[in-house]
Amino acid sequence: MTLHVAAPPAERAAPPPPARGRRLLSWLDLRASGYVLVAPYFLLFAIFGVFPLVYTAWVSLHDWELAGDKTFLGLENYGYLISDPVFWNAVLNTIGIFALSTVPQLVLALMLANALNKRLRARLFLRLSILLPMVTSVVAVAVVFSQLYQRDYGLINWFLGLFGVDNIHWQGEKWSSWIAIASMVDWRWTGYNAIIYLAAMQTIPRDVYEAAELDGASPRRQFWQITVPMLRPTIIFTVFVSTIGGFTLFAEPMIFDGGLADGGTDGQFQTVAMLIYKEAFREFDYGYGAAAAWLLFALILIGALVNYSLARRIGGGK
Amino acid sequence: MSTATGSRVWHAGPLTKITLALGVLLSAFPLYFMIIIATRTNDEAVDVPPPLLPGGRLGENVQRLLDAEEAHFLLGLANSFIVAATVTLSVVAISTLAGFAFAKLRFRGAKVLLLTILITMMVPLQQMGVVPLYLMMVELEWNGTLKAVILPFLVNGFGVFMMTQYTTQAVPDELVEAARVDGAATMRIWWNVVLPAVRPGMAVLALLVFMQTWNEFMWPLVVLDPQNPTVQLSISNLNGQYTNDYPLIFMGTALSVVPLLFIFVLFGRQIVGGLMEGAVKA
Amino acid sequence: MRIDRRHGRFAAVAAALTALLAAAACGGGGESGGGAGKSGGESGGKITLTLDTFGNFGYKALIDQYQQAHPNIKIEHRIVQRFEDQYLPRMTQWLNAGRGAGDVIGIDEGAMGLMAANPGYFTDLAQFGLDKRESEFPPFKWQAGINSEGKLFALGTDVGGLNMCYRKDLFEKAGLPTDREEVAKLWPDWNGYLETGKKFAAKNTGKDDPKFVDGPNTVYEAVLAQEAAKNGNITYFDKQNQLVVDKNPAVKAAFDYVQQVSKAGLTAKLRAFDPTWDTGFKKGQFATIACPSWMLGIIEEKTGAEGKGQWDVAAVPGGGGNWGGSWLAVPKQSKHPKEAADLLNFLTSKDGHIGAFKEAKGLPSSLPAQQDAAVTGLTSEYFNNAPVGKIFTASVTSLQPVFLGKDHAAVKAAVGRVVEGMDQGSIKYDQAWQRFLDAGKSAAR
Repeated sequence: MTLHVAAPPAERAAPPPPARGRRLLSWLDLRASGYVLVAPYFLLFAIFGVFPLVYTAWVSLHDWELAGDKTFLGLENYGYLISDPVFWNAVLNTIGIFALSTVPQLVLALMLANALNKRLRARLFLRLSILLPMVTSVVAVAVVFSQLYQRDYGLINWFLGLFGVDNIHWQGEKWSSWIAIASMVDWRWTGYNAIIYLAAMQTIPRDVYEAAELDGASPRRQFWQITVPMLRPTIIFTVFVSTIGGFTLFAEPMIFDGGLADGGTDGQFQTVAMLIYKEAFREFDYGYGAAAAWLLFALILIGALVNYSLARRIGGGK
Repeated sequence: MSTATGSRVWHAGPLTKITLALGVLLSAFPLYFMIIIATRTNDEAVDVPPPLLPGGRLGENVQRLLDAEEAHFLLGLANSFIVAATVTLSVVAISTLAGFAFAKLRFRGAKVLLLTILITMMVPLQQMGVVPLYLMMVELEWNGTLKAVILPFLVNGFGVFMMTQYTTQAVPDELVEAARVDGAATMRIWWNVVLPAVRPGMAVLALLVFMQTWNEFMWPLVVLDPQNPTVQLSISNLNGQYTNDYPLIFMGTALSVVPLLFIFVLFGRQIVGGLMEGAVKA
Repeated sequence: MRIDRRHGRFAAVAAALTALLAAAACGGGGESGGGAGKSGGESGGKITLTLDTFGNFGYKALIDQYQQAHPNIKIEHRIVQRFEDQYLPRMTQWLNAGRGAGDVIGIDEGAMGLMAANPGYFTDLAQFGLDKRESEFPPFKWQAGINSEGKLFALGTDVGGLNMCYRKDLFEKAGLPTDREEVAKLWPDWNGYLETGKKFAAKNTGKDDPKFVDGPNTVYEAVLAQEAAKNGNITYFDKQNQLVVDKNPAVKAAFDYVQQVSKAGLTAKLRAFDPTWDTGFKKGQFATIACPSWMLGIIEEKTGAEGKGQWDVAAVPGGGGNWGGSWLAVPKQSKHPKEAADLLNFLTSKDGHIGAFKEAKGLPSSLPAQQDAAVTGLTSEYFNNAPVGKIFTASVTSLQPVFLGKDHAAVKAAVGRVVEGMDQGSIKYDQAWQRFLDAGKSAAR
């Protein structure tokens, strides 16, 4: 992640000679307005961000049940979680679905962006069309795809049946349920990422390509040797955003399981977010849910770091 | 691609056209399928082979949806609108202000504060905070009210980050300096110089936040109840009650998408323009 | 930057956002609290009561009747299909949070222990004089409605009973007898049921041919209900509320049986109360389903009018038993406890029981209703004119109430998914029993 904090403007011109009071005001304005402008964010974040985080940590140290019955446990919830196969299964599912949804999504988005970067008619129409899924509400997507993936009468199994494939029970196995859920995520976000990549592609100077062309590089070679390396910051950014989205996946698998938080009969596609929900609001074990929430945060941090270092390598040593 | 170079790199070959055609087709199909089912009878919805053309039950299914009073679909739509609009306004305003400060003002600790925001972006507030926020809302007796789904989303680290990046590149330092020399106060600079320049970025942020809030599912599911739902909850309640009535459920999903589509079509050019100008980038 | 060209469009966005803000400002005050006000409160002197039930209680006509008799009352009926894993957790959350629950709520037998242990959730019905109705109910039904503080909080609706529903047309096609007496003779015990299933399967070998059973869960529950009666009338918990899922032979017997059925490939691999199950009814994907009385209403609702005359009811293998049965209660959070209690009183009255039975066939637990000719003499046109009144009243005369325990519903939901997963192939047969025990223990934790 690159971070440009604007370099402070160089020498400030001296303000015109004002009256005393105005000078004080203006001095204050220069000194303080930065803080004033960022204050609303930090104030609200303290209430609705920091406080819940700290409170979550507090709750996670307790056996905290419905009706506020609580006993202090220390780190017992964490110990139990770490040795709970259900938790690790949810972690595995979350990472698996994340990988299955992010990698194809970003590759497809790159391909789409590359295609959109050509000389084309109806550019706005094309761009709007591939952005269309992004504005579809998430529950709608999940409901529609669940129906498409239905075992006995779903369109996808019917289509596969034309090629002699037996009906697949998509919820039944890890691989099939992961694919189904990942496809919902892919469908919604590929176009959006493609547009972001397209924007970045258009900032790449043309003469770089022209020079490569003169050297006899094929379009494919140019794509891999020029386009992808130049897009690296943008790719890192999209991976970063997908990481947060992917690790908190909830609505799609929830509705794919008919509104239950189990993630299939054997937890085939139970994500960590579903586990938190289930523990806290189906079994009313708030402490356990809170502990799982903190571990989810830790996972996101690790995931972001891993993805960052992976994404940095894209395009080699450029 | 106004510069028409003769280079074959920019030529749209058949592969390009196929890729784009597939992209458009796949983007549109699930929405089209939604309309097919929403306009048919329940029996047709589970036919094999599945129907591939819309039917004629549009009006009837809309009527049945509205008759299903306990789903409170219209109230859900209105609620979602109120929630998403309020959150969008707040996030865009707060992010634009903070983005300006981080991008163009000099103050001690700016770097650290911005880094803090970057880290907070990684906090999955919806999941992390779900237990304490819920306990808090119950304590305040705000559970079941729209306050509960608005307040936790009034700020958004992503928004600040995005507006910081956008302001940095969209507002030339000289412009800010010139205004200072003219004796303009900071707020005046923000209003007169910064705001006009960052509008495309604001539009994109507004769309993203509106959508994200409109689609919020887990937190409303936890804190609201079916008497006063958001539209996502309303659909999910329909889904729980009328399990075997696909046209009804699909009509709900279709109508939940319409407002977003409307905004999208209305401001499509602006949004694509904003995205293309690099509103969202690292 | 081409800022200037965008001014017009930006103005439009700004205008739209301002309009939204205005809407939010006006709506925020009125609507955010007002949403709840709409349903909880009075509008124009009219009181809205919310009724929460699951499955099919058969209350459509009764609600209309009640609203006509009480013009100042409007009833909003919310239904959730699945009890243990959808209805109950949310209801528990709302009861605990002090808002969200309906004014009158249905509770399944599996959660009565939990509700009785939380006296703070419900209104004492005795203050509205409902304690005078004790003589109308069998003792077990009445006792279950008394909470840990000795207060009356719930009155009974239906009892399950147990029979077996079958598709006449599919039986005929498979060369099996179709008369309900003859059919009952096919399966004096569950082994006979399994053998009949194999015969049925032998005639239905095609990919899209119907299966013998809907799915594993309904068979499992029916067998468990019978086995529990043979093992001290307990299932997952003993009467001290200790988990005995691994010790009670009834559980293992029911599990083993359903595994046999699954291994023989007799199920359509459907999950009860799932949309796919609903479709299964419509499409005739299976030929039999274990039938407590309330299942009849569900079959009729899901199969729809075109299925009329296809279904019939025969005696269940092993002869009799009870699966399910519900109660109604008034949460303490109701803003209209008096009106809610009156509605509850009506729905659990003799007429209420009879009305519900006519509509959805849930057998009345009310003794006067059970003895009424309108119940005992009822035949169902939908079920091929089966004398459902006679069949089901007969099946509950020797009813043995089973003790379920406080966390029954949670354990039932958890082990139910293992049974389902085993049948669908996501859990291997030889690992399923261990998973079953693990799931049960984890849910009772």
